[in-house]
Amino acid sequence: MILGLVEGALLSLIKVAIPASTVVVLAALGVMLSERVGVLNLGGEGLIGIGAVYAVIAVTEWGVTSPWVSMLVGMIAAALAGAFFAVVVVVFRANQVLAGLALAIGGIGLSNQLGMNRNGTPITTLFSEVNPGDKFTSNAVMETFLFHDPVVYVAYILLPAALWFLLFRTRHGMNMRAVGENPAAADAAGVSVLWARLGYTVAGSALAGAGGAYMVLSFTPMWAPDIARGRGWVALAVVIFGAWRPFRVVAGALLYGAMISLGMTAQARNWNLPFFGARDLSFFLSMIPYLVTIVAILIPAGAAKLGRRIRSTSAPGGLAVPYSREER
Amino acid sequence: MKAFRLERQLDLDPRRAAFYRILGALCALVLSALVLVATGRNPVWILGQAIDAIFSRQRGIEGVALRATPILMTALAVALSLRLRIWNIGSGGQFLAGAFAAVGVGINLDAPGWVVLFAMAAAGTLAGAAWILVPALARAYWGVNEIITTLLLNFVAVQLCAWAALGFWRDEGAFAIQSTESIKDTLPGIPGTESLSIALFFPLVIAGVLWWVFRSTRAGYEIDMIGGNPKAAAFAGINVPRRMVAVMLVTGAIAGLGGMIQLAGSPGAQQLNAGFSAQYGLSGFIVATIAAGSFLGLVVAGFLIAAMFFAGLVLQTRGLSVYIILALYGIILIGVAVGEMAARYRLVRAESEVAVTRQT
Repeated sequence: MILGLVEGALLSLIKVAIPASTVVVLAALGVMLSERVGVLNLGGEGLIGIGAVYAVIAVTEWGVTSPWVSMLVGMIAAALAGAFFAVVVVVFRANQVLAGLALAIGGIGLSNQLGMNRNGTPITTLFSEVNPGDKFTSNAVMETFLFHDPVVYVAYILLPAALWFLLFRTRHGMNMRAVGENPAAADAAGVSVLWARLGYTVAGSALAGAGGAYMVLSFTPMWAPDIARGRGWVALAVVIFGAWRPFRVVAGALLYGAMISLGMTAQARNWNLPFFGARDLSFFLSMIPYLVTIVAILIPAGAAKLGRRIRSTSAPGGLAVPYSREER
Repeated sequence: MKAFRLERQLDLDPRRAAFYRILGALCALVLSALVLVATGRNPVWILGQAIDAIFSRQRGIEGVALRATPILMTALAVALSLRLRIWNIGSGGQFLAGAFAAVGVGINLDAPGWVVLFAMAAAGTLAGAAWILVPALARAYWGVNEIITTLLLNFVAVQLCAWAALGFWRDEGAFAIQSTESIKDTLPGIPGTESLSIALFFPLVIAGVLWWVFRSTRAGYEIDMIGGNPKAAAFAGINVPRRMVAVMLVTGAIAGLGGMIQLAGSPGAQQLNAGFSAQYGLSGFIVATIAAGSFLGLVVAGFLIAAMFFAGLVLQTRGLSVYIILALYGIILIGVAVGEMAARYRLVRAESEVAVTRQT
């Protein structure tokens, strides 16, 4: 009986956590891509906003009727913003921290400005749930894990698998990792550092934009100011936690989603603790994801310091260092 | 044939760097003015309205000074961390933590006014320092990147203040909308002004003290040494991690004190609510990066950004939104980043290309 209750609570938690984390998964995989080639992209928060607002504009203004197409619109918009950032940091070699924060701040401002007249407009062009077969609906576990948007399948399985294969099983991926670890060596070996960094920063930005588009096309589903609500920053932390490896990054993002959904569940079910009402609990739980993320960043560093070796959890060697052939 | 080429400067003159940063910011502003023209707005009219809003009445100038106070406090926190080449992006969170602690003391402590104010200042300062303690220790001893840890704590501070405003310190009064109770004791006003209090002097004094510390004390010299080359500083016998933690705690304390003086010194801000922080952390960050470690330049930049911020608030009623200010901040930052890079290069005539190659 008790076991059944716990199982039920856990499953309903996961059922909420999966879509709640999808935005973070997509943004974090995008950030991971650019960091793998040595570009620190702090602009995730702004890119999510830009992706979201252009997906909304595509649906409400341009009459796009397919959620996939409007997601593509959001991705292209975020990719353009990311391309601007990439040129500034890769070609002009500007400080990546400054330019990344500029992208975040400017992106938030731009998307809020563009979305100003669309606050609260419900979006009706939504992704529909995949139905893998009615025979699964009776099984609670299957029901929890299988019935989601197609984007969830892409974000959790297809995309990380593809990125893992690309990065760790192809020559191209090895070259890209070399660009991130040691651009001078990669350059000497004939890999174009410039194009690798430009290309993957733009691709990563597009993924963050896809995360934003997913937000308005499935998760919320409407436009609201400051739509990313810190998810862009969490994505950055998740990448560190996930040690720049696709599936670990996904796991880290899911942890964040579990915390978020714990807070949502607490409020929805009105869990009252002594001296600690449901409202207090939900406020408390809303701080937890950020705190857990910080602890999660500290663990690998602390373990390394205390002598426990964890297999390559460190950042790419050339991360956030502009590369110039003249200054080797 | 004579061609031009870019040559990297080995030594960067700080004045040249500052000039290029400001040039970059100005270019960015001109660029955004062109965007405004393209979207059918008249930037000259907007600028005229902004100048009019600030200088036509005493309230305008005071409004700028009022905004400059919290912006300068968070900017000082960031600027001090930048001397160590550390990015304290959490100054907004430390500001809120300071205000949180100060409001807690202010509404619960029953004592003479000046005692309460001193207790609030102490609580705010300590809370700001406490808010950066974990990122500081992690950075100094474990090498954990401080950008993300300080930044994530901003969100925790926002949630904590929302919790206080809606939960445990909520004002149950009839007219209160989602805010904590108000503190009763405020900082004394400046005679001859309508709204300014002595809060305005805090950032000016701190900026002066920091300028002096870095100009003529051993501590300042050692901090600059760590910022320049931590390994060399360690060989010279400086305890780098300990000094790093100390400086980061001071940056948090400055931002936390900023939260307290905002609470006790700005009219109408005597309680915590959703609008309390108003992006002061972000604005301060922009100011600090424009000033790039110069504490006197920071004061000038702080008043400029505060003027922009205030103009944005006033122009909100005339068809512009506060979001445009955010977008402008982003553009200015990009301009500063590019300008900073441009300062390192000099356009030279490459007539002696062969000679140069022969030398190297």
